[in-house]
Amino acid sequence: MRREDLASRLSDIEQRLRLRSPDEVMQLERLGSLHASRLSFVRSLVRQMARQRWQISTIRFDLDAEGHGIAIYRLQTPWARYHGVIFSQPLDDAARSDRVIAEAWDATFGVVEGDVDDSLLDHMAANVPLQEAGRQHPRLLVLSRANRSLRNFAAFLDALSAGRQPDPTWLTRVGYLYRTTAVYGNGKFGIADFDRLKHNPDFQRPFSAQMLAVYLLRHFSIEQIEHMARAKAPGRAVAMATPLRRYLGIGNSTGLGMAPFLINHPQLIQRWIESREQALAQVSGQVPGEPDRQRLLTLIARAEQHMAQTVTEDTKQSARNRDTASALPAVRAWLEQVPLTDELWQELIDWSRQTLSLEAQELIHTLLLEIYPKIVDPFEDRMGVKESLELTPDMPLIRLKQSIETHYDWALRHDFEDPDERYWFWYRSMEKEEPRLGVRDVEPGADRELKLAIAARVADTHKVIDDFLTTHPRALVVEFLIHHPRHKDIIRRIQSMAETPFGEIRANLWARDMKPVHILRTKLSFFGASRFDPKSDRWVRITLFQGAPLVEELNAKPCDLIEFDDWSFPLEPSQSAEGTLSEAGAVTRQYAGVST
Amino acid sequence: MKVSYNELQALCRKAFQAMGFEEGDASDAADMVAWMQLYELSGLTALGRGLDFLLEDQDERAPELIYSDGDLAVLDSHGASVLKSSSLALELGFAKARARGLAVIKIRHCHNRQLIMGYLARLAGRGMNVTAFWRNAQAPDSGKMNDTPLIEQVVGFRAGSSVPEIRVYAVHEVPEENEPNDGVTLIMANHVDLLPSLRSEYQLDLLARHQESDLLACRERAMQQGIEVDEGLWVRLKSLATRLLVESTETSRSGAGAGSNDND
Repeated sequence: MRREDLASRLSDIEQRLRLRSPDEVMQLERLGSLHASRLSFVRSLVRQMARQRWQISTIRFDLDAEGHGIAIYRLQTPWARYHGVIFSQPLDDAARSDRVIAEAWDATFGVVEGDVDDSLLDHMAANVPLQEAGRQHPRLLVLSRANRSLRNFAAFLDALSAGRQPDPTWLTRVGYLYRTTAVYGNGKFGIADFDRLKHNPDFQRPFSAQMLAVYLLRHFSIEQIEHMARAKAPGRAVAMATPLRRYLGIGNSTGLGMAPFLINHPQLIQRWIESREQALAQVSGQVPGEPDRQRLLTLIARAEQHMAQTVTEDTKQSARNRDTASALPAVRAWLEQVPLTDELWQELIDWSRQTLSLEAQELIHTLLLEIYPKIVDPFEDRMGVKESLELTPDMPLIRLKQSIETHYDWALRHDFEDPDERYWFWYRSMEKEEPRLGVRDVEPGADRELKLAIAARVADTHKVIDDFLTTHPRALVVEFLIHHPRHKDIIRRIQSMAETPFGEIRANLWARDMKPVHILRTKLSFFGASRFDPKSDRWVRITLFQGAPLVEELNAKPCDLIEFDDWSFPLEPSQSAEGTLSEAGAVTRQYAGVST
Repeated sequence: MKVSYNELQALCRKAFQAMGFEEGDASDAADMVAWMQLYELSGLTALGRGLDFLLEDQDERAPELIYSDGDLAVLDSHGASVLKSSSLALELGFAKARARGLAVIKIRHCHNRQLIMGYLARLAGRGMNVTAFWRNAQAPDSGKMNDTPLIEQVVGFRAGSSVPEIRVYAVHEVPEENEPNDGVTLIMANHVDLLPSLRSEYQLDLLARHQESDLLACRERAMQQGIEVDEGLWVRLKSLATRLLVESTETSRSGAGAGSNDND
C-alpha cells in the first residue's frame, strides 16, 4: 500500500475543532507571512497539466537576432485548444518601468481560447502591445506584459553564446529573465469575462488561465535567449542545461494595485484561506508514521537551504529570512527527538506557535500540507466561488448589532479619532488609475477615497445602528436602511460575511503602522510566489514557477505524477568543477522507496 | 464597440459614484444597467436617456415611506430614477413577503422604470417570485380611438431564475380613469409563481415577448462575443468616472511606493 493511502479524512466536526481561529489567521502580519503551498495556483495548474496530459507546441517562432518578433504556442488539453501569442519588441531603457503607469514593455502577450487566424492575429498585433490603451478581443482569456531583467539577460546571453552555462547564482539573486508587471483576466479591456470559463474544466479555477500565461512566458524566455545566443554565435552557442532551465522562473512586480482586490473579494479570499486552514486542520489530525516524519525532515532541510539562498536587499525581509532559516535546525532537532505520537503534527503546530517567528510557523504549515497530497489536493477545487453579497432585509436590527459585535469585534477595537489610526487614505491617481496611499489632511484626494478600510466603516455603521436602536428597538434592517441608506453596502457585506470568518483581513487599513506589502504577499502566496523581495512596504518583486517542470517534460507525459509535482522550494543547481550542472533537492526521488 | 460584462459593470459603478451615488447605490445601479445590457434589453440606451436627468437631479430626498403595513407599502421616489431609489423599496417588499407570504409594493413618481429589472433578478435569485407592472407614458388625448395606444409592461421572475418572462403590450380599451402614471407596482410571493400570461378576451397587441430561453441565449452571446455598447456613451461614462481620480503630483507618485528605475 502507498504511504499516503494510510491517510484518512477527519470528520467535519473534528476538522472544525482543529481549525485555527480567524483572529489568529486573519491578522495582517500573519497573512503577510504566508508561503506558497501545494494549494497555490501554480502548483494546481502544473498538476492538472500533467494529470490530463496537456501538450504545448510551438507553431510560430519568428524572432530576429535581438529576439524581437512573434511567437505563438499551442496548448492542447483533452477539452479544448488554446494559444499563447507573444509579441517581443525593442524598448528604450527610459521607457522600462514595472509600474502600471508604463506605456511600453519588452514583451506583451495574451492567451486565446481557440485558434488564431490572420484576422485575430492582426487584431492582437494592433492592440496587445498597447495593453490598457488597446481594445482587446473577447476571445483573449488573459492579457499581460513583462520586462526583461537586463542583468540576467546580458549574463545569460554572454554565457550561452560563448558556449558555456550561465552561473546559476544569477538566478539565485534574481530568478528570471522576465518579470510580469500585470496579468489581467476577467474582462479587463475587453477580454473574456471569467464567467465565460465557468463550464470550462481547464480554467474554471481562479487565476489558472493567468498562471498558464506566465508558464508560457517562462518557456518563451528560455527559447528566446537560446535563439539569441545562436544568432550571436552560430556554431558555438549552447542550449541551457536542464537543471538551469528548471531553476528559471518568471518574476512579477506588484504594487498597491493588488490590494483592492483582496478587500473587494471577501468571499473569494474566504475560500482560499478557509481551504488552506481546513487542509491544515485535516493534516494536523493525521497519525504520522516514521516515513512521514522523515519526509517532513527532508522538506524542512530543503526549505532551509532555499531560505538561505533567498536574496533580497530589503533589510527587514532579509532579517525575516535569516530568522526562518536559522530556526529550522531547531525544528528538525525537535522533530527528531520527540516520540512519534498520534498527535505529533498538532504538537508541532502548537510548539511552533510558541517558539517560532510568524514566517517560520507558516513555513511549517506549508510543509505539513506538502506531505499529504491525497488529503490536501481536493481542496484546490474549492478555491472558486460565485460571489454575491446580499442583504437580509428582514433581520432584526438588534441581531445585526449583535452579529457585528460577535463577528466584527476586531473592527470595533480601534479608536478612529486617533490621528495615527486614520493616517492613510487610499485613492486612485489620474495616472492610469494607479492606486496610491496619501496622508489624510496633508495630501489632496481624501474626498475621493477608496472605501477599503472595512474596519472603520463597520465601526461607523455600528455606532449609527446603536443610536437608531434607542428610538426604534424593534426595527428591521431594511427599516434602518430606509432612514440611513448610505450603510447599505457595508451591511450587505457584514450580513454576507458574518458566518464566513476567513474573508476579512482583520486590520485597520488607515493605520499609520499598516504595511500594504502584507496584503500583497497574501495574494501572491496563493498564486505560488517565492523569493519575496520587497522594494518598499508597498512594492514587491517575487518569482513564479522557479523549479517547475519544463514544457518538454510535460509533453513527455510523465509517469510519476508525484515526482513531477515535487518542485517547491527549489535549490540552486550544483555545478561540478567541469561546469556540469545538476539538480539539487528532489525529495520524492529520495523517498521513492518508502512507499510499500 | 464591444466591452465585457465585468468592464461594463465596473465603469458604470465608477460613473455612478462620480455622480454622487452612495457606494452601495452605485454598485446596485451599475448591476441593474449591466444586467439589462447583458440580456440585450437596452440598459445603456435607457441609461443614456436618463443620464442628463441623473446629472441634473439635485434632489437629495431619500424615497419616502408613505404607507406601510404587514404586507403592503407605498413609497414616493420624488421623481428620482429607480437606479437611485428602488433597491430599498424592493428589499422592504422582500422582507414583507418573507414574513407574510405575499407583499405588494407601490413606488410612486420614479424614472427609468425598466431598469428595475436588474434588481428584481437579484431578489429572484434569493428565492422570491416577483412580478413588476407599469404603464408607459400616456399618449396625448388617450382614450380616443386611433390614438397611440396605452402600453403596459409586465415582468415576472420565477424564484431562483436569473431571467424573467417579459410581456410588453398595447391596450386598446383605455379606461375612463386614466391618470398619468409614473409609478411601478410590484408583487412578491414567497411560495407561488407569478409569471405573466396574457388574457385573450381583451384587445391587446403584443409588442414584445421575451422568454427565459431567449434571454439565456443573449447572455451566452454576450459571454462569447462581448457586449455591444454605444461608443459615445462609453466615452461619456469614462469621462464621468475620472471625477473619482486624484490629480497626480510628485508626492503622490511616490505614494505608490514603487521605484523609478527598473532597468536592472
